[in-house]
Amino acid sequence: MKVKVRFRLNGASKTDEIEPNQTLCDYLHDIAGTTSVKKGCDTGECGACTVLLDDMPVTSCLVLAPQVDGREVVTTEGLGTKLAPHPVQREFVEKDAVQCGYCIPGMIVTLSWIFEHAPGASDAEIKRLMSGNLCRCTGYLQQIEALKAARMRR
Amino acid sequence: MKSFQYLAPIPAFEYTAPRTLSELFETLDGHGNELQVVAGGTDLMIAMKERTVAPKIVVDLGRLRKELGGIAVEDRVLRIGALATFSQIESSPFVARYANALRQAAANVGTLQIRSIATLGGNLATASPAADSAPPLIALGATVTLLTRSGERVLPVQSVFAGPKRNGLRAGEIVSSVEIRANEEVRSAWTRSAVRDENVLSTVSVAVASTVKNGRFGPSRVALGAVAPTPILAEKASGAMTGSEATVEQAERVAALASEDARPISDIRASAHYRKRLVLVLTKRLILQIRSESMVL
Repeated sequence: MKVKVRFRLNGASKTDEIEPNQTLCDYLHDIAGTTSVKKGCDTGECGACTVLLDDMPVTSCLVLAPQVDGREVVTTEGLGTKLAPHPVQREFVEKDAVQCGYCIPGMIVTLSWIFEHAPGASDAEIKRLMSGNLCRCTGYLQQIEALKAARMRR
Repeated sequence: MKSFQYLAPIPAFEYTAPRTLSELFETLDGHGNELQVVAGGTDLMIAMKERTVAPKIVVDLGRLRKELGGIAVEDRVLRIGALATFSQIESSPFVARYANALRQAAANVGTLQIRSIATLGGNLATASPAADSAPPLIALGATVTLLTRSGERVLPVQSVFAGPKRNGLRAGEIVSSVEIRANEEVRSAWTRSAVRDENVLSTVSVAVASTVKNGRFGPSRVALGAVAPTPILAEKASGAMTGSEATVEQAERVAALASEDARPISDIRASAHYRKRLVLVLTKRLILQIRSESMVL
């Protein structure tokens, strides 16, 4: 039986009827059209599906879609646009912190959260906080550099 | 080929999110195995994807954050609501002041993304022998309050663990909160060994809580995770530490007893023999840490 949900997605109010056995990851990518949300491992290990739920990064593959009722969801689409990118997004481009790109939306979500909520985080603390986002091509150094460059420009 | 299961959707179920506790208990009433309560969902979602749990009804506690969440100190008791997330526990000044071992464990659970939704109550109800929150709570002598329609039960934390992934909750009962005596004199610490630093199950985890006065340990408790069917209080070690002289030699004796208290198995993470060695090394390390902290002050 479908469940009615009302929540905020990237700043806009959204009402929908959704199948409860759907993950938030599948719902956001396949139905809501926020295709930045990538399904990787589907078990909460890789972080490709990371979104902000009430301003905390979560792996959306471990959230049931109806659990967002009354809450606020932000995906990479909601962080910035092509013309007005989030500081972390802009520095990802500057620092070439991208290869295949699959992990990047999740990385951006996590690093934007670190940017806002842990502005003084040391390298070791940044690594601890981003350990839930796996990249299998470039590694992690450019992403950390991008975050630090974004902090410098703040 | 378990991983292929992930490609298929989770089997259909009915979903309900009660808005009050009385609505919750009404929903829980009269349902058995076909009903599953979900808090953070980080364990349950994987179990449902793997088909090890296949509920007909999922009852989400998410709307009861006011009733079942929060971290507060009242009447010298630190009360942590079942729906408090590990991120909230990690950043709570109350937890830092009165339950340092729990703060350390919370900061090491899973990843930032897991800690943002995984809850203390869920960690206890899942009842994994490797549950990271359990050794600190057992060492700190915490109690768990369980709630039913008709009233509450207060149990020591270790009593919630009935066996590997088996909790001691009765039908219609939920974890409501965890209580720890708010005593600034109690020093506690937690550490673990694992195959890597982050996003990993503990191979062995140890927590120690004690007070040190005039060169002696006061009431002390050593608790162990991932070395028995459930997290355990290391009884011989705790008994030997309590009231003893706070010396390096005594730390070694207590650590050796903790290793005897451990009843580990060999599995993919480590052999039983290696786990017993780890208990000895980690316990000694924690006791010396608590001892040196109290000498500085």
